[in-house]
Amino acid sequence: MSDRSSISIIIVRKTLMVTVPSDPDDATVSALQEEVLAAMQRVDAKGVVLDISSVETLDSFFARTVAETASMVSLMGGRTVVVGMRPSVAVTATQIGITLGGIETALSVERALDLLDRPAAGRRARR
Amino acid sequence: MGTQFESRPGAQPGAAAAQTSSETQELVRLLIDNIRDYAIITLDPRGCVLSWNAAAERLKGWTAEEIIGQHFSRFYPPEDLPSGKTEMELKVASQEGRFEDEGWRVRKDGSRFWANVIITALRDAEGRLRGFGKVTRDLTARREAEEKIRKQAHEILEMAAVPVVQVWDGILLVPLIGTLNSQRTQQLMDRLLNKVMETASPVALLDITGVPAIDTQTAQHLIETIAAVRLLGSEVVLTGVRPSIAQTLVHLGIDLSNVSTRSSLSAGLRTAFELLELRVTPRAAAGG
Repeated sequence: MSDRSSISIIIVRKTLMVTVPSDPDDATVSALQEEVLAAMQRVDAKGVVLDISSVETLDSFFARTVAETASMVSLMGGRTVVVGMRPSVAVTATQIGITLGGIETALSVERALDLLDRPAAGRRARR
Repeated sequence: MGTQFESRPGAQPGAAAAQTSSETQELVRLLIDNIRDYAIITLDPRGCVLSWNAAAERLKGWTAEEIIGQHFSRFYPPEDLPSGKTEMELKVASQEGRFEDEGWRVRKDGSRFWANVIITALRDAEGRLRGFGKVTRDLTARREAEEKIRKQAHEILEMAAVPVVQVWDGILLVPLIGTLNSQRTQQLMDRLLNKVMETASPVALLDITGVPAIDTQTAQHLIETIAAVRLLGSEVVLTGVRPSIAQTLVHLGIDLSNVSTRSSLSAGLRTAFELLELRVTPRAAAGG
């Protein structure tokens, strides 16, 4: 079982860098949420960067959990940025109607960190 | 044979006629032996090789000694044989006088070539079938050239359907022209998403100036594309929203309120610069 052992959370500049394993099962996804929230409290982080660049398939449970986690992180005073979604995953996600609930996204970890340094919701509001 | 050959202009008929005729026959034989581009062979009524010219040897690889007496099905790829293709060809040729075909044929070494084949029934004065003449031309080079042109045309069409160009460091442009159907949307999504990844571009301009009209489905396709690009972490600005399109979108009740939209491509480019925190200033002003 690839539960907690395969989830990696690194703390950089009060930000949680979370790497999601390539083929996360439901248990791993649930564990991920708990680990992230626990770490939020432990280090009083300002945000979460969720690197999903190794994820090859995205199911609705995973998408819902990520969106939920982002809302929970937000309640705890942080922001979540999803990084590195593969084109094929994005195509499937939009086709089956997964939107990640308007979560913030970035092309790279570097850009995600830049985004977290700026005032919240700056990107989407600027139209 | 009813045909008259006149080998020398101004030659006297009569006395020289017999000599001319045999000389003509000799010339025809030389023609068949020397011709390079046509493999000319004769078959007996059952389809076994009776004669074989030099071009046939060059094209197919067998020498006359090797092939004379063999059935002409030797020249066909194995998959053509069970269907009775060779019998059919001879039947058509004997009924209609000729048979023409283009297809793969096999050389002695097993390699294939694309051939144009004409089989002619050879009948004597009484109408008895004496055999068949078979003229084969190697069209492999022509076929390859045609194939290449077809492939290039297809590539050009595909490229023209959804071009994705990088107009600035970090800014991609997709000038959409013509109606957007599901298949094109799929292509657009694939190409745009891969290009966004490849160039790590934070902004993509989707220009619909060249899209004649927008309906609910087209709008849905655009919304899906925009959503997919955003999942990757890039922002899309929809440009070229002219008055008629704006009216249609509102009348159809299509909600684009969380999509950046601009009326012109230049306005969109300005928005892209803003998103990238770039500023374009006139040269004089830049100095001060």
